[in-house]
Amino acid sequence: MAFLPQSRGRTFGAKIAACLALGVAVCATLAYAAETQIFDPKTRKWVEYDRKKARSYYAAHKQVPEAFRRQIVKFRTAEKPGTIIIDGNQHFLYLVQPDFTAIRYGIGVGREGFGWAGMVKVGRTAEWPTWTPPAEMVARDPNARKWAGGQPGGPDNPLGARALYLYQGDQDTIYRIHGTPEPWTIGLDVSSGCIRMNNDDITDLHSRVAVGAKVIVLMQGASLYKGV
Amino acid sequence: MVASTRLLRRSGVALGSLMAMCGAGFAADLVVGMPNWPSGQASANIIKYAIEKKLGLDVEVREMGTLIIFAGLDSGEVDIHPEVWQPNLDSVVKKYVDERKSVQLSPKKVSATQGLCATRETTEKFGIKDVADLKDPKKTSVLDTDGDGQGEVWIGAETWSSTPIERIRARSYGYAETVKLLEMPEDVGMAAVDAAAATNTPIVFYCYSPHHVFNLHEIVQLTEPEYDQAKWNIVLPADDPANWLTKSNAPVAWAPSHFQIAFATKTGERLPKVASFLSNIDFTPEEITEMSYALEVERQDPAAYAQQWIAAHADRLEAWSK
Repeated sequence: MAFLPQSRGRTFGAKIAACLALGVAVCATLAYAAETQIFDPKTRKWVEYDRKKARSYYAAHKQVPEAFRRQIVKFRTAEKPGTIIIDGNQHFLYLVQPDFTAIRYGIGVGREGFGWAGMVKVGRTAEWPTWTPPAEMVARDPNARKWAGGQPGGPDNPLGARALYLYQGDQDTIYRIHGTPEPWTIGLDVSSGCIRMNNDDITDLHSRVAVGAKVIVLMQGASLYKGV
Repeated sequence: MVASTRLLRRSGVALGSLMAMCGAGFAADLVVGMPNWPSGQASANIIKYAIEKKLGLDVEVREMGTLIIFAGLDSGEVDIHPEVWQPNLDSVVKKYVDERKSVQLSPKKVSATQGLCATRETTEKFGIKDVADLKDPKKTSVLDTDGDGQGEVWIGAETWSSTPIERIRARSYGYAETVKLLEMPEDVGMAAVDAAAATNTPIVFYCYSPHHVFNLHEIVQLTEPEYDQAKWNIVLPADDPANWLTKSNAPVAWAPSHFQIAFATKTGERLPKVASFLSNIDFTPEEITEMSYALEVERQDPAAYAQQWIAAHADRLEAWSK
């Protein structure tokens, strides 16, 4: 692995109730980035990986750093193939495959992590989903106002090419795993609570995942749970 | 902790078993109550096929909760429970084994453990080997997964009876001050171990054995002072919801746990050879871990797994028959 990502400098505290109040569209709102570090094997040093560096890296290489690119990795687990495991701290999403392997994708997560940990499932999926900003964003942000009725799916839509809607039982959690028109933000913490992947990756994941698939969100941002 | 999970699981009755019990039109010679956790399912089936092969009896496996199994052992509906955990089921054992004498425990015990574990990488590279290391914020900062500089340790599922005891232990030892204690379902805790192992990231977590995680990854239990009954002062939340934590103190390891096969006293009287056979069954903790791994990780069918196990362990069956 050429780059090993890690996160630091984040603060947590987002409760799911607060997130629910924010509404669906907040997930796709891009804002400033908190800090991520990646390991540079040439200098053998951890280097800051912020929005500026991410942009310049992407401009130079036309892709994200190697660690965040889609790859098959060894992954020993008792979870069955088809299960998604999200490690927001390291900015990885694993899709469990047979024979103790997984497809690992790079992800971008919220400024405050995913906001919670636990088990959900893929309740439904959509291709080129419509993005509808929540009312308070429409009131606050003139750019969002024109999409008050919903921005149709397309290359500029913040939800990107595909969306997986995460449900707890039959309830939509309002959290999504979705694409992004800004692929350089993979590896950063720049939205509010949702998981972003570049459009090729979310399209690949979407093609492999069945509705009902188990999704495990790891501890990071585990404020949903008692005593945390 | 497995035993407490199992205790909770035992309160439920599978629909299938209800249907089987209500609609039972024929009777097998013996009924094995099957709990819903992997090693219990494997051992229930191994007992079935072993008795059928060596003693020539017709044995039925029925899935049901532990308390229902015990009621069945008492009433004559059920003959065998493959895994009775103690000290978790002490009160149930007291009622049926000691007082009513309607149930007997096999003398052979399988040892079980619980405590805090880490990946080998965590102990060797990051120097977290003993619970006392968790009191050092410099050491535990490597366990940070949420960016606040403080490490996290999963202490079990919110519903487990072991979890408040882990919280008491953390407070008693002092690491409740230096690490954040996480409570969440076991699948989340175990997936975190999988992800940590996949990226050589350090992790410390509550563990119990026998459990398949020990076969899945290189896991090391953190050392700690031995169990001392005089220092084990536990008040459970159910007994004092407001002050259980402050009233408790337990800066020592868990007491050794174990599980045994149980069978109805009347079954033993009716079929002494069965009682003798069950009393000779001597599963090792390693075998129980293999069973858990085969069913949970490899997703093998319990009945098919049991038949293969029987075929591969003719010598053990022979020994149990003596």
